[in-house]
Amino acid sequence: MSALAPFANEPLAELRRAPERERLLAALRELDAELPLRVPVWIGDGRREGDAIVSTDPGAPGRVVAVAAAASAAEVDAAVADARAAFPSWAATPAAERAAALLRAAALLRERRARLTALAVRECAKPWDQADADVCEAIDFLEYYARGAVILAERDAAGELLQPPGERNVLVHRPRGVCGVIAPWNFPLAIPLGMTAAALATGNCALLKPAEQAPGCGGELVRALREAGVPAGAVALLPGDGATGAALAAHPQVQTIAFTGSVPVGLEILRAAAEAPARGARHLPRVVAETGGKNCVIVDADADLDDAVPGIIGSAFAYAGQKCSAASRVLVHEAIADALLERLAGAAQVLVVGQAETFGTTVPPVIERDAQERVARYAELAARTGRLVAGGETAVPAEGWFRAPVIAADLPSDSPVLHEEIFGPLLAVERVTGVDEACDRVDALAFALTGGLYCRNPRTVEHVIARSPVGNLYVNRAITGAMVGRQPFGGNRLSGTGTKAGGPDYLLHFTEPQVVTENTVRHGLVV
Amino acid sequence: MDPATLEPRVQAIGRDLAAALPRGGKGPLRALDEKAMDYAAQDAELRAALFRFVDVVPACRSLDDLARHLTAFLDDVGDRPPSIEAAMRMGDSRAGRAALGGAAAVGVRRMAHRFIVGATPADASAVLRALWQSGVGASVDLLGEATVTSAEADRYAARCAEALDALAGVYAGLPARPLLEADGAGPTPRVNLSVKTSALTPLLRPDAPDLGREDAAGRLRPLLRRAHAAGAHLHIDMESFDSIEAVTDLVLTVLAEDEFAAGPSAGVVLQAYLRESPAQLERLLTWTREHQRASPLTVRLVKGAYWDHEVVEAVQHGWKPPVFEVKADSDRNFEALTRRLVEARAGGAPVRIAIASHNLRSVAHAIAANEQAGGGPADLELQVLRGLGDELQAALAATGRRVRTYCPVGDLVAGMAYLVRRLLENTSNESFLHDQATGAPLDELLAAP
Repeated sequence: MSALAPFANEPLAELRRAPERERLLAALRELDAELPLRVPVWIGDGRREGDAIVSTDPGAPGRVVAVAAAASAAEVDAAVADARAAFPSWAATPAAERAAALLRAAALLRERRARLTALAVRECAKPWDQADADVCEAIDFLEYYARGAVILAERDAAGELLQPPGERNVLVHRPRGVCGVIAPWNFPLAIPLGMTAAALATGNCALLKPAEQAPGCGGELVRALREAGVPAGAVALLPGDGATGAALAAHPQVQTIAFTGSVPVGLEILRAAAEAPARGARHLPRVVAETGGKNCVIVDADADLDDAVPGIIGSAFAYAGQKCSAASRVLVHEAIADALLERLAGAAQVLVVGQAETFGTTVPPVIERDAQERVARYAELAARTGRLVAGGETAVPAEGWFRAPVIAADLPSDSPVLHEEIFGPLLAVERVTGVDEACDRVDALAFALTGGLYCRNPRTVEHVIARSPVGNLYVNRAITGAMVGRQPFGGNRLSGTGTKAGGPDYLLHFTEPQVVTENTVRHGLVV
Repeated sequence: MDPATLEPRVQAIGRDLAAALPRGGKGPLRALDEKAMDYAAQDAELRAALFRFVDVVPACRSLDDLARHLTAFLDDVGDRPPSIEAAMRMGDSRAGRAALGGAAAVGVRRMAHRFIVGATPADASAVLRALWQSGVGASVDLLGEATVTSAEADRYAARCAEALDALAGVYAGLPARPLLEADGAGPTPRVNLSVKTSALTPLLRPDAPDLGREDAAGRLRPLLRRAHAAGAHLHIDMESFDSIEAVTDLVLTVLAEDEFAAGPSAGVVLQAYLRESPAQLERLLTWTREHQRASPLTVRLVKGAYWDHEVVEAVQHGWKPPVFEVKADSDRNFEALTRRLVEARAGGAPVRIAIASHNLRSVAHAIAANEQAGGGPADLELQVLRGLGDELQAALAATGRRVRTYCPVGDLVAGMAYLVRRLLENTSNESFLHDQATGAPLDELLAAP
């Protein structure tokens, strides 16, 4: 295993070259001919198809992308039982062998890249560049965690503890057991696979519950893992809605819940975890939760607006702002606030609102009708209590869940627009007297996921870093697009349990550390 | 054309040009009299500090703010020369900062002035006229901040239109310079304006070239009409690889429109550092044969100014860089493209050739290739950058070559990105100017790449 090449990020598709774009468009045509995909509840070798869950193209809601069965509570029970049965053997499989299976899965994903990219375009309306990055990140997670698990096993074997004479100390990281993975739709490939791969790499069995908006993507992931040689009992697919997720999270024999999604659901999962012992669990379930954000970009007076404007616009509106890392507030020094507002407004106005499959689209439809209505409510509130500087009246296609990008200013400081996660193309801009006032406002938030700073004074940069509570702070660049191994990602405070996906510590959350100390003194002699 | 038979002429022309370089004048790097530039060339940390400072100057709100930035950058430099220590101490008091900020502002403005001829075309008129008097043409480039909105694109287009009129006034009534005013294919305009597609549209998207092309075309067409009416040449610059498809398609589709068959004179840029530049040149040559226009298409051959950007972007994304990673490969390709251009023209392709390089060897090679293909002195335009190619410009003019100087125009805010790029490029120890300034022997400078 030491023969493994060092981790390197999967190269993004070079979409600036026409043949690359044509290749993807061809893959989309092929996929369209195959739709709808059938996604089963897939436990061990048993597959049950059904039609309780239907995912549709957010840009053309009449187009069905995937039809899935919804896993019942009984099926969740069965899946947990199956995983428990498979666990001892998978846990005992050497880390290198588990890693080899994950790397084979990575190779399969690589072969299927164009199709998977097209699927993310269709099922979740991710524009091509975003969909491509999603697939690359999925591959990265497999490659990164496979290596990480091997490194962890090697470190355990090498022994890092102090060893005084007469004492042998060993620290090992053992798998925890069954891991329930509850995934979001906005990174329909990378996030479910990242959480699943981390569980599998460390020897846990994983039960994946993909988002109900993205069962097609989830199905492709489990298929790749199975084909790559992950044993049938080690990974199961449990499509479904909130009820399936709740059954999984509350199951007393699930040791770990890996979750990415909203704060309310995250809190429910934590509550269920606390209650698990009362339901018969003989463990404290561990919750690895990545929740929301209310991400601010601070723009100091000396910022280079030529960089700041595209960086903020991209962070706020790419994929219609549907990323937990997306920029939601801009806190700008009053000396340049007017100039920044004017340029942001103009830059938002030229963004293409359109179908995800059309190259050049920045703002695709949001995921579903509820999301469209939610964003509309916040936009109305912003218009009523503040001022819209962009997007008030931009026309959008009638069919599909489109929302034009909105930039709001002059909102009251207690406005929900400034404090609640909107998860859509709405950006609020506030004037501040300086970076300290901006830091105060950031510090007042419960969320602390990503943050940005545009500033060219190194002393000010240091100062803001020191005052920033966020999990990922970006200086003089966009605040989205964290990459595995480069920007380990995850928030603090209400934004998550403080784990860093794609970082060196992430796998530890899926392990139970055990220390064995053996006395090697016999009759006063060290033997 | 056989490079081997060309070689003796390249060497002879190179020696003639070297002999014609102004004597006793300051070299292009030594001309940057700021002590800071000397430091910058020697010390990577100081170089970074200096450029980060220059970059932020226009955004500083006061001399005090300027001084605070300067000392903050210098503070990060580990090993500071005594004069920089003195500057740091000035940063400790308000009066000191005012003095330090004032000195720094003057220094940066002087630096900028070497590369940027004026804030507006009118400001630049004295320089442009003096160049013309000394037998040197100009291509004016309007510097600007990035275009991120439609209003900014409209403003840039309006500035270009105004510049065409203003330049017509600048060049009116100046004496004839036959070498600059006609070549074998006919008359060539005095007024020459370079424009940037990225300034003509906020919609350049690497993965959607049509979007930017169509938006920019809407602003380029009126400029072409204006240039035609004013008898001016319009040159569309090339920028980073991200926009190459949009820019190339823009030029070739708009110039192919019937409306522009009669004019104006126009041109494109070919970047020799791109691995695929030979194929791009073939595309251009095919186009010139298929689209007969009153003025042949001018192809300005450059090495390319975005090398660091291209390499960094490619590495960050996991791509093979689109540029040659070894400088000699770019130099060799530059010569191959030069020969292809002069041969194609000799073979009847309606194309004008502009060779833009400060590399004595590349320039001498182009002159020799043009001669061997039967071109006269007016048939090969040699282009240099204001502030960097001043000596070469003088040598070329003195030896009877057709020379044009690329003259950026704009205020300090607008010009900062350009200035920093020029400064970085030319304190790099990979550049020809650096070798020349540090006294590399002529044989080495003229050696085939």
